[in-house]
This record gives sequence, C-alpha cells and structure tokens, in this order.
Amino acid sequence: MTAIELKNVTYVYSPDTPFCKTALDDVSLEIKAGVITGLMGHTGSGKSTMVQLFNGLTRPTSGTVFVGGEDIWAEPKKISRFRFKVGLVFQYPEYQLFEETVRRDIAFGPTNMGLDEAEVSRRVEEAAIFCGISPEMLEKSPFDLSGGQKRRVAIAGIMAMEPEVLVLDEPAAGLDPQGREEILGGIRSYQRQKKNTVIIVSHSMEDMARYSDEIVVMDHAKIFMQGSTAEVFKNAEALSSVGLSVPQVTELCNKLKERGLDIPDGIYTTEAAKSAILALLSGGNK
Amino acid sequence: MNDPFIKVEKLNFSYSEDDGSDVEVLRDLDLTIERGSLVAVLGHNGSGKSTLAKLINLILTPTSGKIFVDGLEITKPDLSEDELFENRRNVGMVFQNPDNQLVATIVEEDIAFGPENLGVTPSEIRSRVDYALETVGMTEFARHSPHQLSGGQKQRVAIAGIIAMMPKCIIFDESTAMLDPSGRREVMDTIIRLNREFGITVLHITHYMNEAAMCDRVVVINDGRIELDGKPEEVFCHVSHLERIGLDVPQTVEVLNELKKSGLPVDIAKLSADDCADEIMKLFGDHK
Repeated sequence: MTAIELKNVTYVYSPDTPFCKTALDDVSLEIKAGVITGLMGHTGSGKSTMVQLFNGLTRPTSGTVFVGGEDIWAEPKKISRFRFKVGLVFQYPEYQLFEETVRRDIAFGPTNMGLDEAEVSRRVEEAAIFCGISPEMLEKSPFDLSGGQKRRVAIAGIMAMEPEVLVLDEPAAGLDPQGREEILGGIRSYQRQKKNTVIIVSHSMEDMARYSDEIVVMDHAKIFMQGSTAEVFKNAEALSSVGLSVPQVTELCNKLKERGLDIPDGIYTTEAAKSAILALLSGGNK
Repeated sequence: MNDPFIKVEKLNFSYSEDDGSDVEVLRDLDLTIERGSLVAVLGHNGSGKSTLAKLINLILTPTSGKIFVDGLEITKPDLSEDELFENRRNVGMVFQNPDNQLVATIVEEDIAFGPENLGVTPSEIRSRVDYALETVGMTEFARHSPHQLSGGQKQRVAIAGIIAMMPKCIIFDESTAMLDPSGRREVMDTIIRLNREFGITVLHITHYMNEAAMCDRVVVINDGRIELDGKPEEVFCHVSHLERIGLDVPQTVEVLNELKKSGLPVDIAKLSADDCADEIMKLFGDHK
C-alpha cells in the first residue's frame, strides 16, 4: 500500500528569473502506508519543499502528486480536502498557538472540519494523551507553558484532525534527550495504535534510527537512497558523502568489523549492538 | 592552570510569575571557567543553562551573587556603561537560530555590523572582516547574500560577526541545534579551532553529547545547580545519574555500560568509536 506517490515531480522556485532554483528535480517516490518514514538530507536538499507538496500547499511545476491513489491536483478547487487527509506540522510549531486555552487550541483543527462537539472533545482528549498533555494543562493558556509543552500542544492540534498521513518537520529540534523521547515516543504510539502513515523530517541520525521503519534520503533535489532503516544505515560512506552520518553505534560496529570482528551488518541501535557482541562472545569465535 | 576568566559566586536568579510566585532558576551557583578552556554546558530544557549564559553577558542581571569576567566584577552596583560595553565586547554570544542573528543583506556587511557599532575605524573594520571570514572559512562567500547560504554556513557567518568584535570569550547557546550533521561538524570544527589556535575561551551549551565529548571539561546543570563537573570521560561515566536528569551519554558509553551490566570487565569511559572498539576487542583477546 502506498500512502503518497510522486511521479516525475519537479519544483522550481522563481522560474524565468535570475533567482531560478530547482528544488526538486524529476523526483519519483512512493511512501509506504502504515509505517513511520524518516526523511533526511542536508539543509537545502529539498525536504521541506517536498513535504509542502504532500498536502497541496504548493503545486509542482511539473509532475503528479497522488495521495491514497488520487491525483490531488485533478480538481484544484477541491484541494482543501487533502489538507485534512495530510496533516502538516511545521518546524517550531509552538509559535503557531493562539487560543485562550490549550483545549481550544487543539480543538481548532477538528472544529474546522465540521465535526460535532462530542467527536471534537473525544479527539482532543485522545491527542492530548499521545502528546503527554495532562487534563489540568488542557485548561491552561498555551502561553503559560514551557517551549517543549507548547510544541506538544501544536502537534496534538494536528493529530486531533486524525489525518491519514501525519507529516512532521523536525518535531524534536532543539529539545533535550528526554524531551525528544517524549515527543517522538508519543508520535510512535499514535502511529502504532492508529496504523496510519507518519513522515518525520529529522537531522538526528540517532532519532531516525530509533523511530523510523523506512528512510528516504535526499540530496541535491533528488532521492539519493530509500529503504528500511537497517538497509540505509549500512551505507555509512555514501551517507557521509551527502553531508549526513550514521548513528555513533553504527560507526562503532564498522570499527569493530575493521578490527576483524564478525559483527552483522545493519546495526543501528545500542540494544542490537550489545546483543550482537554478547552473541559473538558466547559463540567463542573471533 | 589557575587563571580564571569567568568566576561566578553564589549566583541566584529568579523571576516572578503573573500570580506573584517566584521561580528560582539558578540557586547559589558557583563556577570558575579557566582562561583559554573549552567547556561544554549540559542540562535539560529549563535547567538554567541559557540563563547562566545571559547573566555572564549581562543580558539578564542576577537576583544575588557575583560574576567576575576577565577580572572585572560585572555585578557591582556602580558598573559604568563603558564597563558594561567592554564586557559585551569581551564575551560574544552565538544563539540557536542563525536567521535571527543576521541583519545585513551581504555577508561581509553583516560581519561589519558589530565593529561598526563599536566605533572601529573603516580600515580596521575591513581587516577585521577579512580576518573573521578567513577564521571561519567563509572568505569566498564575502559578497553573497546570507539567505542563499546553508544553515551551517549562516551560523559560521554569525560566528564571524562575533569574531570581528575580537572577544576573549564566546558563548555558544545551542548554536548547533538547528543544523544538519555536516553543518554541525563545520560549526564544531570552527569552535575547536577558535579555542585551540586563537586561545578564545569557549562555553558551548549543547544537547549533543558527542559535542560535549570533544570539549576539555563538561559542566552539567540541573535544577539551577551544578550536578556534575569534570573531564568528559569522567562525567559520562555517571550513566544512571545523567539519565535520571533527562540527559544521555554517547552511544559508545551506553554500549559499554550495557556490557558491563552483563558482567563483562570493560572500562566504560570511551567516548570515540575507535577507543570504544579497542576496548571491546580486548574482550575477544585482541591479538593484534
């Protein structure tokens, strides 16, 4: 099952001017439904441009965007329904809060979808739980919260719309390790329970390794690599050639291999590394 | 090594909430930073580390306590305006988001902004701008527009803007947080170079444990107090303590710590992949 498909998509900023810049160059891509896909690439590789095509916020210069098999620009007047199907959380979404209470802020999206009150509050409360927002916090002003809490409120606001595809651009940027885990862990339990599609843009290889099922790597307006998390992190040198890296634990496994240890490929979590090392020790073979 | 550049004594900072209650951010904090050292400051969001940085630059003033910078007590009540500006020039700050720090439309004009405001002569500004650009490796971009640069490049321009003011110390307040891995490497290389080659005292506030591992010393702030302080390999041995206060350790330490818990004789204080691999190979009767 494919959640989102791009077919020969090109996007050019300021065409026919001296500032003309091709942000996406004939990109074809299928994003699997029902899993978490990590989208990585160095700054300026085209990630954010691509993400804005997913819900029709921008229209490709050429090529076709399919959501759930439908060409989203077939009837441009009906584009807004794709905004409900594909929910987009921008970078630093905490600056977008505006309501009097957290509850009302989270309810804004679902209310605009025309849902009845009971359904809206069911969704608000469910999204609050995924995002670690306590019932007391729901009644507070969003402006009385800390930065990390505000970020969670903003994410809950999009989750409450229950989009088929939830796209988050750097949801954990600037947070400490625990804050990152709260947000990304919450997103994962939401995805595992709802079985919908989640796309996370991130610069943290460690976070990508921990939370993604699939990874798409972009470089210079093109798709550079795509595959399962283990497949992608096998390619340490290729990733470093496009300004990325592998998690430190993967680097460690590569170093062990250089030293002659027969450690399996594609290890990207500390738990897997530990088990592999222990297995080799108990096997007694070098 | 006993030449403090920054000395903080019994520093307290609190602010009042709307309902009149006081929030204590820093509590009786003592800290000495040696001249020419490269110190990482770790702590979870809200631990007080950015507040400390802003106090050292007098963007904020403390509730009580003393701060000495380069021998000058900046917290004395009769601090003159000249002394205040002198401190601002001595201690430069680079923030998280490079887009919030760049003011001009051309890279070299942006870098000239600081020294211009200090009343430096035009010819001197010219040479400082060139020097600053060279120091951060951005000379070829002198006439570019900042918005065409990558995140790492923009942050290097922001650093150059500080260097052009010739500070003795630079505080980096999560300056790598918004960058991709190669941008982080560029900025980290620049920070280390400023410290090693130019002797600038550096305070590097970060959430990346691998960056802290590259510094001479790691100071961990929690709940307004210093909880751990020492060489990186000492501090990162406190795995459970760090986890309890919402921080991580480098993955090398995590793996070694897990192996140790399984009863294996390993030294967990290995911060680089190479050192860690050597340590693990010992378990296999490393016959190299």
